[in-house]
Amino acid sequence: MRLLEYEAKQILRDRGFEIPRGIVVRRAGELDQALPSVSFPAMVKAQVPIGGRGKAGAVIRVEDARAARDAAERLLCGHVRGYPVEALLLEEAVSIRGEFFLAVTYDTVEKQAILLASGAGGVDVESPGQASPDRMVRRVLDVRRGLHEFEARQVAAKVGLAGRDLLGFAGVVRQAADAFLGLDCTLLEINPLARTDEGRFVVADAHLEVDEDALYRQPHLETGYRIPRREASGRAPTEFERRAAEVDAIDHRGVAGRVIEFDGNLGLLIGGGGASLTAFDAIRRHGGRPANYCEIGGNPSVRKVAELTKLILSRPGVERIAVIMNVVSNTRVDLIARGVIQGSLEAGRDPGRTIAAFRVPGSWEEEGFTLLRKYGVEFCDRGVSIDEASRRAVARQA
Amino acid sequence: MSLFIAVRVDPERCRAGQPCTACIGVCPVAIFEGRDGLAGVIGENEDECILCDLCLARCPTDAIAIHKLYADEIRTGACVQGSPR
Ligand code: SF4
Ligand code: SF4
Repeated sequence: MRLLEYEAKQILRDRGFEIPRGIVVRRAGELDQALPSVSFPAMVKAQVPIGGRGKAGAVIRVEDARAARDAAERLLCGHVRGYPVEALLLEEAVSIRGEFFLAVTYDTVEKQAILLASGAGGVDVESPGQASPDRMVRRVLDVRRGLHEFEARQVAAKVGLAGRDLLGFAGVVRQAADAFLGLDCTLLEINPLARTDEGRFVVADAHLEVDEDALYRQPHLETGYRIPRREASGRAPTEFERRAAEVDAIDHRGVAGRVIEFDGNLGLLIGGGGASLTAFDAIRRHGGRPANYCEIGGNPSVRKVAELTKLILSRPGVERIAVIMNVVSNTRVDLIARGVIQGSLEAGRDPGRTIAAFRVPGSWEEEGFTLLRKYGVEFCDRGVSIDEASRRAVARQA
Repeated sequence: MSLFIAVRVDPERCRAGQPCTACIGVCPVAIFEGRDGLAGVIGENEDECILCDLCLARCPTDAIAIHKLYADEIRTGACVQGSPR
């Protein structure tokens, strides 16, 4: 879950990072009260869950209150790269003598946490060809023991710092590693980390992403900081998506939820990942209109699959569902079949008519096929491609 | 009422006078519970049965029968003879 800049900064401030003084404004009507507390020059920054704000004109430097008001009023009624601006951060401008880049994230290829630091921060640090990769310091972060002070200093030294700057930067590196682990982040990025004229290191911009599966360990985000749960896309989940998340939380077994709502009429029960994107695209290519995207896997309970099926079928206009997955080894075909049949029946539908396609080959498929046959559900095995199964599902919609 | 699986414990055979909680301990989806000194079946969990046969293999008195309602097949201890008890 991606946090907005001001949310990230609030949290980082509480963890001891130095953050410029700022105030959040949500409506033009709040400017009268907010502006007297802003010291100029200042930055007016649109709070949207997407990068590239500077280049999109959504971060504006202003020299006085009048310019701040103009910029704020303009930004508040617009969109930035497709996202409506729901809040602004008005923040004192930092006198920057040097810009650094600092990030902690997971390397999904090496499957470990890594820390990245560079003496060349700024808007283009991540663009290919803009930053020379040899100037990026990279070090593995042990998620069990965190980062020792001396290791943080090694990073600072490799960035090219010495003396007081080395100590100051190393302190921020250590804090960043602690915050990343403590907040169950998947990404913590400070760019730029500004060194001021006085030699302080200030977080000029921050980007925090928290692992959604770990949100239950971070209840203070919602209760303390009042940060609502959002989809990975940054928008708030729809009512339908929220209810799907509740289905997934019924028990700890497997996944049957993680739904994204679309406006079509063909419900999808798909596995998530590449094969599901293939199925989704194939359905659209054959003229179908998916009502949702979802993730099922890891042997969810029959109850969860049934509840998800019911939820999808409860949407207006959704008469049929397509159950399409790649060959599954970690999810039993018969248990998925039980779930969708049970869900259809509990929704008052005939499974044979409602399940437009069932293409889930894999473990216990013969058992699943016996069950599907019994309920008159058309199914296919791995001899039928995902594309063909999608075509059949769309054809049955017609 | 379950749709797919019916699990039955024969009260005449269960425990047969001996203390036993084998099925309760072994079932991975919590289908059994102690009830009036015998093993009882939690109806709302029956359809979660993953047909692992562990209860059949562990029951010392062959008191459990698992009926696959969609296949007219009944599994009992005899189906898993030779499995460790
Ligand atoms: S077969 Fe396995 S899942 Fe089913 S009741 Fe017995 S122990 Fe439980
Ligand atoms: S394992 Fe058999 S004898 Fe033991 S409690 Fe269960 S049903 Fe009764």
